[in-house]
Amino acid sequence: MREPALRVFAGEYNESTHILKGGGEKVPSYVISPLGAKINRLFIVGVLTDIENVAQEGEMWRAHISDPTGIYTIYAGRYQPEAANFLSQTETPSYVAVAGKARVYEPEEGVVFVSVRPEMIKEVDASLRDYWIMETCRHTYKRMEAMREAMKMNPPSVYKLKELGYPSFMAEGVVEALSAYKDVDIDHYQFLIREALSHFASGKIEYVKELGEAEKKILEIVKKCEGEEGALWDEIVDSGEKEGVERNLVEEALTSLMDKGMVYEPILGKLKTA
Amino acid sequence: MNEEMDSVVDEIVRAVGKEVSVEEVKKNLKKFIEYGVPVDQAKRAVIQKYGGKGVIPSSNKKKLGDVEPYDKRLSLLGKIAAVEEREVEVKGEKRKIFRGLVGDETAVLPFTAWKDFGFGKGDVVKIKNASAGEWGGQPRLNFSEWTEVEKTDESIDLIKRKAQRYSVIDLKPGLSNVEVKAKILTMEERDVSVEGKNKKVYSGIMGDETGKIRYTSWADFGIKEGDVVEISGAYTKSWRGAPQIVFNENAKVEKLDEALLVENIGTEKIPIHKVVEAGGGVDLSIEGVVIEIQKGSGIIYRCPKCNRAIREGVCVIDGEVDGILDLRIKAVIDDGTGAVNAIFGRDATEKLIEKNLQDYEKMTEKSGEEAVEKDMEDLLIAHPVHVTGNALSDDYGVTVIVQNAEVIHPEIKEEGEELLAKVEALK
Repeated sequence: MREPALRVFAGEYNESTHILKGGGEKVPSYVISPLGAKINRLFIVGVLTDIENVAQEGEMWRAHISDPTGIYTIYAGRYQPEAANFLSQTETPSYVAVAGKARVYEPEEGVVFVSVRPEMIKEVDASLRDYWIMETCRHTYKRMEAMREAMKMNPPSVYKLKELGYPSFMAEGVVEALSAYKDVDIDHYQFLIREALSHFASGKIEYVKELGEAEKKILEIVKKCEGEEGALWDEIVDSGEKEGVERNLVEEALTSLMDKGMVYEPILGKLKTA
Repeated sequence: MNEEMDSVVDEIVRAVGKEVSVEEVKKNLKKFIEYGVPVDQAKRAVIQKYGGKGVIPSSNKKKLGDVEPYDKRLSLLGKIAAVEEREVEVKGEKRKIFRGLVGDETAVLPFTAWKDFGFGKGDVVKIKNASAGEWGGQPRLNFSEWTEVEKTDESIDLIKRKAQRYSVIDLKPGLSNVEVKAKILTMEERDVSVEGKNKKVYSGIMGDETGKIRYTSWADFGIKEGDVVEISGAYTKSWRGAPQIVFNENAKVEKLDEALLVENIGTEKIPIHKVVEAGGGVDLSIEGVVIEIQKGSGIIYRCPKCNRAIREGVCVIDGEVDGILDLRIKAVIDDGTGAVNAIFGRDATEKLIEKNLQDYEKMTEKSGEEAVEKDMEDLLIAHPVHVTGNALSDDYGVTVIVQNAEVIHPEIKEEGEELLAKVEALK
């Protein structure tokens, strides 16, 4: 069977710390997300924010893809020639679609970094990105529902979840996540979906014009303050206020710039133009 | 077998109630077993050896109706409703196993016994340390070497095994006692010879709003095309890479006066995991994103004799031939619940991408064959598509032979607001 490409927001994927290792040769491994996505393969559409050749010698490209909830890290080397080739000649920011395998790096016990190894990467347009956000919201919501059902069961049962109509994949992941993660904070993911969905909410569009003006100003400010390391959040807010952009709007503008991939967060609390 | 042994070891460790090495317990237990000591006595002996009281902790006592797949250490009381001997090959060795049904007043479940427990039909038995697997979405009991079976005089009234009601889309191979309500869409009558006797078989396609399926009837129930029928006591199997429903004179077929099923047969969009789980199907309607355009897509040449795709004028079967120009796409469609291969023939391809073979011939002349594949990727990768067709399964997974396809442009703003309202309501 071909592993399905799961739709999981970066905000959820990056919080995964549980790995289900496949025994034997042909048994695949899975990253189990806190909300029970059983991930071997992922499908992502987001904004490519930066690309870097991180190999000592030869080629190993690291790139970041941003969605409304966080940032995926992808790696492509000589075993992914098409993806590596794409990354070596693509401009940022741009919208990309990636289908790839979940990768895990455990530098020490209990520390888990997840990334994606692309099998396919392709430049796309904004409408496909929006469609992906919608789809991913739908899938996340479904997992959230399944998780709530499973929490009511004693003990949580894959079989009973399947009887309720959840796909076996989802049922297995949810039960595995429940036993692996002590507390699954469902509300957190509800927040995640809401953030992502507010992207389409009505009213947003009128606001966008005003925001557009602010964005231009803020982008200039970030460029001015960023230096090598990036600009401090507070510094940007202060400078913004000096130029007559109200604090709330500065923050909105920054979030929006990050959504668009024009600004990203290389280190927590610091911002850089892409 | 090891899992059951582990659960016995578990019991011993818990009964001993102090730190003991699991490995050592296992070794000890194995030794007793090798000496031919029955499992429950061996268990007691090992517990005593460690100074435990020999009290066996309570196991997982259940009514059959409460058994779930992957239950372990089950303690059951049931009546053997049927049992038959089978020979199977396990790792190249022939083994005798026993298959049958065991029931109580709550359920009747299928079982597999991996050794001869000496029970027969009608026996009421106490079963200890059984486990359950899953088959066709139903629990199936396993009686292993580690299972203990004891006959008793108790009497049990079996629940009448009710036929299970399915929608057509949920029918996958290997189900029995199936009940389904569907419309007969096509029917063919054939004469076959079974054990030297002539018999008529009726086969075709039937469907409900969720999907369509091939059927075969081994008896004449007087049904015709267009009839809406309720069938109970049918079974399903895999036939030519897709599920099929079969019924014979043991089944009940009732003609219904319902016009209800006449509209919308099999037009409902199906999540892809269902197609994968069923292992194929007829005239399906699915939606997903194209995540891969596979090699062999674009302009191809076919052998004029066998219609296979050929390479550089050579057919693997017919040797050097004058190939016939054709256009196709081989793609992977994935909706996040499952993935299928999809093969688009020339018609479906031309309609899907709004370009025809001539356009692509020109493109090839100008920019080479790779330009065609690249163009197909640009037009399809990451795009949601709606596809209808028949699906077959083989070693490589499920493949949809596409009849009709289109790129869809979903109205996401509305859907987004709907979902947002649902999320807000959770508060």
